[in-house]
Amino acid sequence: MMNSLNFDLPQHENVVSVLTTDGRGFTPDELAEECVNKIISVSDTALPGIRDQARAFSGLVEKLVAQYMREAIKSDRTTVFNAIKDAGHPELAELIRRL
Amino acid sequence: MAFNGNFMCTSFKKELLSATHNFTTSGGDAFQIALYTNSATFTAATTAAPFGGGNNEVSTSGTYTAGGPAGSTSTNTLAAAASMPAQSGTTAFTDFADKTFTSATITARGALIYNSSAGAGSNTANCVLVLDFGSDKASTSGDFKIVMPSPDASNALIRIA
Repeated sequence: MMNSLNFDLPQHENVVSVLTTDGRGFTPDELAEECVNKIISVSDTALPGIRDQARAFSGLVEKLVAQYMREAIKSDRTTVFNAIKDAGHPELAELIRRL
Repeated sequence: MAFNGNFMCTSFKKELLSATHNFTTSGGDAFQIALYTNSATFTAATTAAPFGGGNNEVSTSGTYTAGGPAGSTSTNTLAAAASMPAQSGTTAFTDFADKTFTSATITARGALIYNSSAGAGSNTANCVLVLDFGSDKASTSGDFKIVMPSPDASNALIRIA
């Protein structure tokens, strides 16, 4: 009997998903949800006790990731503020700081 | 004329057997993604990525550059998922990180992933995958993000089991 390799894509299932925004970028909350979905997968067929615990953990991780994303944005904005101010554009820097 | 599902290009399968594609994260080939409207028609028989509006590629917008931009540092280049290629059990797999085109006004129905490295051979746009988004996806002065499947033996884009 010969072994065969099969690595075709499922033709009519979505193998990738597309997320879009209008007039803005993604929020930390939206990105945190995506992030946690990649890190933690909870099966609908898992034992109820385990499933509920995993979902609760997932929710906590999502909030934590979102919080750190907000901090990263604030920190990066400080870096951008200083870079623009040092480049001689204090008014533009101030506008960015207030975003 | 429209997208009709996802396909692993047959030419890609053949090229794997002649060591045309290198998915190694460091030192491997560059893989890019091109976006298309629903007027494009691709199948497993697609061998090379056609570019430009005449071939139903979406226009340059934000960080998306139409026309198959050269170079591995192009904004259309896909980053490999961490530690790819990898294996688990008897399955070998590789995957890409999510791709976001920012500040973009784009309406696309699907995409081609292709090898843009010179190492891919004389044709510099060797097709790997045809991706059908299932419906038109649109961003307006915003982010257009393609979320790749989890890089594991059950979900990764390219799996050999």
